[in-house]
Amino acid sequence: MDLLEYQAKQLFHEMGIPILPSQQINHPKDLKGLKIPYPVVLKSQVYTGGRGKAGGIRFVENTIDAVAAAQTIFNLPITGMYPAVLLAEAKYDADRELYLAVILDWSARRPLLLGSQQGGLDVEATIGAMQQVIVDQEFSPFYARRLALKMGLQGELIQSVSDILEKMYQLFLQKDLDLVEINPLAVSPAGELMALDGKITANDDALGRHPDLAALQAKIPNQIKTRILPRDLSETTLVELEGNIGILCNGAGLTMSTVDLVHQAGGRLASFLNLGSEYRHNDSPAVLRDRIQQGLELMMQSKNLKVVLVNILGNVMLCKQTAEAIATHLQRQLDSCTTPFVVRLVGDQFDESRQMLQALNLPLFDDLDEAIAEAISLSNSVLRAK
Amino acid sequence: MNFTLESKVLVQGITEPLGSIYAPLMQTYSGQILAGISPGHGGQELEGIPIFDLVEQALFSVGTVDTSVIFVPPYQVLDAALEAIAAGIRQLIVVTEGVPPMDMMRLCRIAEASETLVVGPNCPGIIVPGQILLGTHPAEFYTPGKVGIVSRCGTLTYEVARELSQAGFGQSIALGIGSDRVIGSTFQQWLQILDEDEETEVIVLVGKIGSDSEEVAARYIIEAIDKPVVAYIAGRTLPQSQYTGHAGAVVSSQIAGLRDEVGTAKSKIAALKQAKVPVAERPSQLPDLLKQVLRGGTKSSPKKS
Repeated sequence: MDLLEYQAKQLFHEMGIPILPSQQINHPKDLKGLKIPYPVVLKSQVYTGGRGKAGGIRFVENTIDAVAAAQTIFNLPITGMYPAVLLAEAKYDADRELYLAVILDWSARRPLLLGSQQGGLDVEATIGAMQQVIVDQEFSPFYARRLALKMGLQGELIQSVSDILEKMYQLFLQKDLDLVEINPLAVSPAGELMALDGKITANDDALGRHPDLAALQAKIPNQIKTRILPRDLSETTLVELEGNIGILCNGAGLTMSTVDLVHQAGGRLASFLNLGSEYRHNDSPAVLRDRIQQGLELMMQSKNLKVVLVNILGNVMLCKQTAEAIATHLQRQLDSCTTPFVVRLVGDQFDESRQMLQALNLPLFDDLDEAIAEAISLSNSVLRAK
Repeated sequence: MNFTLESKVLVQGITEPLGSIYAPLMQTYSGQILAGISPGHGGQELEGIPIFDLVEQALFSVGTVDTSVIFVPPYQVLDAALEAIAAGIRQLIVVTEGVPPMDMMRLCRIAEASETLVVGPNCPGIIVPGQILLGTHPAEFYTPGKVGIVSRCGTLTYEVARELSQAGFGQSIALGIGSDRVIGSTFQQWLQILDEDEETEVIVLVGKIGSDSEEVAARYIIEAIDKPVVAYIAGRTLPQSQYTGHAGAVVSSQIAGLRDEVGTAKSKIAALKQAKVPVAERPSQLPDLLKQVLRGGTKSSPKKS
């Protein structure tokens, strides 16, 4: 989960990382009560980078200009998103701008400190100048000093930048973050440091033990709330495409593979839906039955759906229990649902399951290639019938 | 690696829904589950498996254990793993999904220092067909043989194993290393283990789009693996935008010197082809590729001849 700049800065402030005096603006008229002296900078609070280029950051000298600029920014979509909040911040004269970040290095399975003397620009543009230090054991401030030296810092900046990095690292660890970034970290002519912009990405799996971060997400309007309950069925999103076959499957790899097989056999997909593997500690036959039924309901909402292919493999639910879950759901909807189904299941009770589904006119296969051929043939006959 | 008929196994989180389903299945497969752990349930039994409150209590009662399979809730995984390591257990299989990466990083560091092998999290675990089941693999899909399957997927691993078994290619071992971003043991570690494993003649690598795991594995195969490897990558026809990584991933893989478009099917297949690893277009093509590479002998032998 990404935090907005003003939310990230709030966390910086709590950690003792210096930020400028600022004020949250929910409406242009809030600027009339501005407590920060002009000139100020108004910043659109959206998630994407490149806000400056898009016109989402403006400098203003007085209240009249500020209100007009705020109105413009509130009405300016940046990559399709409108800000719900602006941040009004004091203007700062920087002598130099640095880049600092703490991220997870997935391959090394360790935190990674990143830094460069070319702050304030796109990360992609300065990747060549980026220095890195892997925190391979328990963190201690020398890791931060090691980065400061690699960045080419000298004198008092070595210690002051290391202090900021140490605080970023503490935040990273305490809040289970995927990313803490300060870009730019301004250095004033007097050598004072200031976090002018910041980015924080919280880890979705850890949100359950950080209610303060989870609450921040609830506060943000106008954004795509994809993962409020990351392990709930709400995560199971229907991916819609242009064809007419729907795939309901369990596990990301198996879903991708089934999608590929349908495409390779010349089928076109209306949608696909991954029910998730069966590695959640509380998975049980009852939980999986609900998930299948909710998945089927969601699947039936996809546009242009002409055939549904169900491919479920696993061990928590026996073949017959899965067949029953599908049958129960379809019997309930029989009047409204005329979409043909092709089901692929494997297991000891395959023959019993086949008989049960046959009674509902649902063909059951244990071979995936055969099931796909049947689904494609049905989708073609529906097309010809038109 | 030591997963045989002689292995002695503990199940942590045995009274959790998933644990209570799989502990009996594992026990039926080979009867090596000596005890289960579930705080507050000490003294009870689950289908004949005695339950204890603490790992050390269990070991005092049943003797030495070499492997623990962990089904506890995600925020308790680190603690359960540390408890097992403290009790001297050096092989851990973490099935549970949703473990925070910060916990995994800490576990990886401690596991490395104590030379503990960690598989997972968010994975189906290990099966050595005919010998031992340590996780969620449906046993009927697997047959004993010479193919080592190492996979980043769950249910897709079952599908691949089923294809191989039906085509007469039994397995020396099959495991899912987990599809989380921070996992206890990587493709490289397992390629190395299987390269040295006497029971394994050929390796099947199963991957999917997203992350740089397959690209890194391909480079490792060039450097260090002598046995033939074939691969299957899921997601080659998927619209790319649905599975992009986040900024940190881009930064770290660019720093690692990998290509910009790392994570796509194209990048993975190109990396594997460069490592002379044949890539199947569909799971049912894997048996043909296996026949081809087995006819060609090991990767190193053509160089010698």
